[in-house]
Amino acid sequence: MSTLLETEGLGLSFGGLKAVSDFSLRIPEGGLHGLIGPNGAGKTTVFNLLTGVYKPGSGTIRLGGKLLNGLKPHQIARAGVMRTFQNIRLFGELSVLDNVKVARGQHARAGFIHSMLRLPRFHQEEREMEEECLNLLRVFDLEKRAHEPARNLPYGDQRRLEIARALAAKPRLLLLDEPAAGMNPSEKQDLSDLIRRIRLEFHLTVLLIEHDMKLVMGVCEHITVLDHGCVIAGGDPRAVQDDPRVIEAYLGAPIEEGQGAAP
Amino acid sequence: MNGGAAVRSVKSNAAAIAAGVLFAVLLQFVLRGVMGPFVSKVMLDIGINIILALSLNIVNGFTGQFSIGHAGFMAVGGYAAAAITYYGSLLLWGSAAIHGDIMGPGDMLFLGACGAGGCAAALAGLVVGLPSLRLRGDYLAIVTLGFGEIIRVLIQQTGDVLLTADEVRSASPGTVLTSLGGSLGFPGIPFYTNLFWVWIWVAVTLAAVWRLKYSGLGRAFLSIREDELAAEAMGVPTTRVKVTAFVISAFFAGIAGALFAHLVGTTLNPGELGFQKSFDIIIMVVLGGMGSISGSIIAAIVLTILPEALRAVADYRMIAYAVFLIALMIWRPSGLFGVRELWELGPFRRRGEAKPS
Repeated sequence: MSTLLETEGLGLSFGGLKAVSDFSLRIPEGGLHGLIGPNGAGKTTVFNLLTGVYKPGSGTIRLGGKLLNGLKPHQIARAGVMRTFQNIRLFGELSVLDNVKVARGQHARAGFIHSMLRLPRFHQEEREMEEECLNLLRVFDLEKRAHEPARNLPYGDQRRLEIARALAAKPRLLLLDEPAAGMNPSEKQDLSDLIRRIRLEFHLTVLLIEHDMKLVMGVCEHITVLDHGCVIAGGDPRAVQDDPRVIEAYLGAPIEEGQGAAP
Repeated sequence: MNGGAAVRSVKSNAAAIAAGVLFAVLLQFVLRGVMGPFVSKVMLDIGINIILALSLNIVNGFTGQFSIGHAGFMAVGGYAAAAITYYGSLLLWGSAAIHGDIMGPGDMLFLGACGAGGCAAALAGLVVGLPSLRLRGDYLAIVTLGFGEIIRVLIQQTGDVLLTADEVRSASPGTVLTSLGGSLGFPGIPFYTNLFWVWIWVAVTLAAVWRLKYSGLGRAFLSIREDELAAEAMGVPTTRVKVTAFVISAFFAGIAGALFAHLVGTTLNPGELGFQKSFDIIIMVVLGGMGSISGSIIAAIVLTILPEALRAVADYRMIAYAVFLIALMIWRPSGLFGVRELWELGPFRRRGEAKPS
């Protein structure tokens, strides 16, 4: 299988603090990767590097061979990398449907003149877009609330709407930042089914940050473990689970070294 | 499928044009006689204020960028248009008086001047917007405030208006462009503005703002207001979209300035178009609700009539505004209508409807 996302020696420092260093990752087309690590390990920083929110201090990011370094976030989005956020960032006052349409809009062809003069192409495109977006919402079981403001949705629906919004842009790579945060066990189960399903249905490659080990271990094919900005382990879920370095990162070093207590 | 879209397109444009022209003609030729001069004057002010509030709403309401230099764009448009009609008339017809009848050559010059005023303001919007829209919140507000003041001061430095066609011909273009009357105002501008022209432009502005709100670009504006970081991550080129909002908004402010400049009984002077005027427009947008088109219109109407009705206590207007705004901040922080339109509220609310075009 060909490689979709490839990072080489990615690094970023804030002042003297190395948030991420020498981060290398390779995700094959269609892969479902997990990125785990204790709090503050640099997982979200990696997402922010991949999506252009932060400029990498060193290293390269390639998507399907194309260099993404130095591109603005919207250019990276248009190259096919979409994301969700750890703290939900929906367009609260906009309707559920409009949230999805905003992301879908990057593929629109009708320009300013078409919209202002309401030329036929505008009407046609709006209708096509509406149809496509409603179909997408149906997949996420959100189409009944399509015309409500997004902020009125219950928490779990808002999390799913964020995924739907990201998918509306027809991405090649989907980055999910703790999609299960705050969900109850049955919602988490639904979420892992959903992730598996959309991956097949939309031919996606997925990179997932998650604290819920059951979900990560159940869904991902490959897991990368991050601690203090460095990759400390990587492999399939079983190997990672048994890796002593991973256990140490999460639970602390053995007692005899005298630094077991978390700071 | 394509045919349906074509029919919709013809229909919505025909309806918009017909409604706008009909209303403007009705006001100018039928109702003006009934209303009398005072009400007519108030109707002119209302129209101009609606254009100003609607256009500022694009930046402050839709896009969520707090600009307080709207009167600056109005001044750019007003002075550009005034210079064109005044000096144009002098050169073409030897006098700056009104030339020709309705839809005559004078009116056409005025129409062109309005367009040119709008374009000049839009250009100013681009020049101010490009560097400053990288700033956020308070910083952007300060830059736009500064812009408005710079424009005012620049106009105050201009020299006396040239009085005859010969003077204009013998002067260099640079001299003509800097002979705008200075701080005393621009005298002798022909009074082309009437109910017809004002309300035609109200119709154009309303149609443009409406279509903007319910289009891809409008959704991009709103997404930036809601969450700029998320908008960028969803592929919205936020800087470019913000500059676009600024330019469109400035264009219509320029039109309003051109209409204002050619009103009977006003002398275009820089003092009128300072910070105070910008603030009047902001109050309309905030009162009506950031992002609400109907809210802006209603607020513009109310806030134009109110000072006229309360002329006796006009000096206390700003105090009343302040009290009113504080009350609004406490009880309805998102404005009277918030981001919704009048018909989306309460008893008017229809659920799951398609957006009108």
